[in-house]
Amino acid sequence: MTLEESIHAHSVATPDKVAVECGDSRITYSGLWDSIVRRAAGLQSEGLEPHRPYVYRATQDIDFVVTYCAVHHLKAIAVPLESKALEENFRAVKEEVDSCTFDDGIRDILYTTGTTGKSKGVMLSETALVSCADNFICDFHLTPELLFIISGPLSHIASLFKMHPILTVGGTVCILDGLKDMNAFFDVFRLPYTKFATFLVPASIRLLMQFSYDRLCALADKIDFIETGAAPISSHDMEQLAKALPHSRLYNTLGGTEIGAVCTYDFNDGKYMEGCIGRPMKNSTVEIGPDGNLIISGPTVMSGYVADAENTARVLQDGKIHSADIGFMDEDGMIHLKGRQGDVINVGGYKIDPVEIENAASSIPSVKDCICIAATHPVIGTVLKLLVVMEDDAELDKHALARELKSKLEPHKVPVYYEKTDSIRRTYNGKLDRKYYKQ
Amino acid sequence: MREHILSLLSDALPTVDFGSDFLFSELDSLNIANILMILSDEYGITLDATDVTPRNFKSIDSLVSLVESKLNK
Repeated sequence: MTLEESIHAHSVATPDKVAVECGDSRITYSGLWDSIVRRAAGLQSEGLEPHRPYVYRATQDIDFVVTYCAVHHLKAIAVPLESKALEENFRAVKEEVDSCTFDDGIRDILYTTGTTGKSKGVMLSETALVSCADNFICDFHLTPELLFIISGPLSHIASLFKMHPILTVGGTVCILDGLKDMNAFFDVFRLPYTKFATFLVPASIRLLMQFSYDRLCALADKIDFIETGAAPISSHDMEQLAKALPHSRLYNTLGGTEIGAVCTYDFNDGKYMEGCIGRPMKNSTVEIGPDGNLIISGPTVMSGYVADAENTARVLQDGKIHSADIGFMDEDGMIHLKGRQGDVINVGGYKIDPVEIENAASSIPSVKDCICIAATHPVIGTVLKLLVVMEDDAELDKHALARELKSKLEPHKVPVYYEKTDSIRRTYNGKLDRKYYKQ
Repeated sequence: MREHILSLLSDALPTVDFGSDFLFSELDSLNIANILMILSDEYGITLDATDVTPRNFKSIDSLVSLVESKLNK
């Protein structure tokens, strides 16, 4: 059953049950279904046809859910972009998808850096969406009493694909606009629900533990489970979280836009195995390739990249995704991640290609040369740092440089740290020596 | 104190416009974490999630008031 069919069924069986909470607003299943039908009629009258893409900004509100489901209701393709996507990027994506034709089964196109390190439109079929939701429902034992807090961007799979299973089982989704207002996060637990759960990237878990550990501990009896993923979580943070929430299930999940949700590990087991992502979920299969990279198959995987046959053929072979993640399987069948191929930098779950930042910085006249590298922040973990060689050895004005980069890049791609240097180290053939800067 | 806090925060968060009267809306969770850490370390005060309110983070002046209220406790 698709997400929209499930919402329709719940609107009949439990019409007054709240489907989505967002700040002071909420909508019941019957209200949600009525809104979806009305929005679908509106989109249809605007010319949206089946199997055609609809590009829009993923606002963190109920309206996003309505539009997303309405697009699917018309058998059209939802293309949600970040709410703060630059206008030129929005236009470029729209031009790209408008010029393509799509298979009948495609329902979502999500733009991601992911496996290739370049921004790509990942095409996902209805089968992939339903199978991914089924993975969560079965492995997390989701039930209708659950309220699930979504604080990440709804254009990102980690948030969007949590909305699917929760609404499919008749639960409630609570949408927050990020975690910067931690009080808003804790206020959700005052709502009249018996079971709460959420997805938090490791940086957000650390943020909560650093600045509100006692409040987290006080929620031990309310939190059914917390899922993390999208970036590595340390054994220390696993253990601290388990101490705060001794009875909760605490999952570390391997997921990705190209692969869906694939493996999960409940680390509230006293072992706190760093890098462990557990066993494959119900609809997924994981093999370890000859180079140690994870090869993922099953109905959750993508159908391909938009207008990019070359990268599709490289990543998707015989229905199997050849991921950039390196790992191994232990004697118990548990999979452990050891690292990742390529130069992508993972910042709070966003996979960022450093070349994009370097290109933006190099287009600024005062920048002679630069390299974007990973740096460590005491709370957030990995952040971006830009090493810069200035033209004519001028002084580095990091405020001016940051402001210029902010006008050229999405907010999460703007480096946090800046440092002037005399030269950027290169390899014998003139390429940036990224290996040196990783040390 | 205002100029010192402004200098500290501007140096650590070069992308943030601390002249804004709508500071909270400009910040993300990383910025918030940085501000809490910097002010806690510099002034030896305890700041936690309950202090992260739109009112306390409205502007550089409201952050200064937050620090002063903690120091006076």
